[in-house]
Amino acid sequence: MIIYLRSGGKLKDRLKPDVDQYTRRIEVEGDKPLRDILNEVGVPDSLVAFAFINGKLERLEYRPVDGDVITLQPPVSGG
Amino acid sequence: MPLSTDQSERYSRQTELQGWGALGQERLLGSRVFVAGAGGLGCPAAVYLTVAGVGEIVVCDGDVIERSNLNRQFLYTRDDLTKPKAPIAAAQLRRLNPDVKVTPVIAEIDRSSAQELIEGADLVLDCLDNPETRIALNRAAIARGIPMVYAAVAEYTGYLSFLNPPATPCLECFVDGTRPAVDPPVPGCTAGILGTLEAMEALKFLTGTGETLAGKLLIMEGAVPEFDVIEMEKDPGCPACRGL
Ligand SMILES: [Zn+2]
Repeated sequence: MIIYLRSGGKLKDRLKPDVDQYTRRIEVEGDKPLRDILNEVGVPDSLVAFAFINGKLERLEYRPVDGDVITLQPPVSGG
Repeated sequence: MPLSTDQSERYSRQTELQGWGALGQERLLGSRVFVAGAGGLGCPAAVYLTVAGVGEIVVCDGDVIERSNLNRQFLYTRDDLTKPKAPIAAAQLRRLNPDVKVTPVIAEIDRSSAQELIEGADLVLDCLDNPETRIALNRAAIARGIPMVYAAVAEYTGYLSFLNPPATPCLECFVDGTRPAVDPPVPGCTAGILGTLEAMEALKFLTGTGETLAGKLLIMEGAVPEFDVIEMEKDPGCPACRGL
């Protein structure tokens, strides 16, 4: 199946976008949690604070389905 | 207390807002807000609360003013370097609106001090700069039953939510408090936007107008630029709000 990972901020460089400036297309073999997919594509899950799909927050245990567009956000704690 | 003639005129551009009115303004003038941190988020948040006429603002910060603060912490100038932030911020805020009692507190917020510091507040604003202190504030707000507005910034990114457990998630439902504190790059405008949005959440809550971000997280990705509002769920295993 194909999923799309997106990031506009700090994670963009890690993600190596190929669809547009912010989006990378990923072919996923089998059913696996988002955490594993991120680690496989070089985005350590420790660098991801939030992942959301269609306006809803998902945990890294979420198992993506074909066509998911998943936006990734880094931990942010400044003030 | 009914508004004076001076107050009616001073606040007219906001009391005209549907649902705000003189009654909302009187509520605001009778409110007390605890602003935790007088830095990049705290400066704009406190300014907008002050000019809006929040009755009492407690500005709490244990830090002194450093040169590297001046790109975003606009209540301070070069003349204030090495002085504690809270009283300098309070003095500037008082000049903006004599209706508002501004109470400076020079203190570090931690697990042992937080509950006492926020006592009596109607609302807490998290304008802090590290996960550990935020968690201490979250625990204290839960223990006291005081709602809290959360914001955090780095680079062009900002997060914002209105936390009022058990009706909403608490901070620890979605923020990992064990992450190390970092001093990220923060352009003043990023902190300015998020601090201003914190004030907006506070004013909506205190006047009963509009809709807060209760149960939602606003994500600003200014580099794209993009704003998203996503739904949040409580973490059933949350160490702070589980079982409330
Ligand atoms: Zn919680």
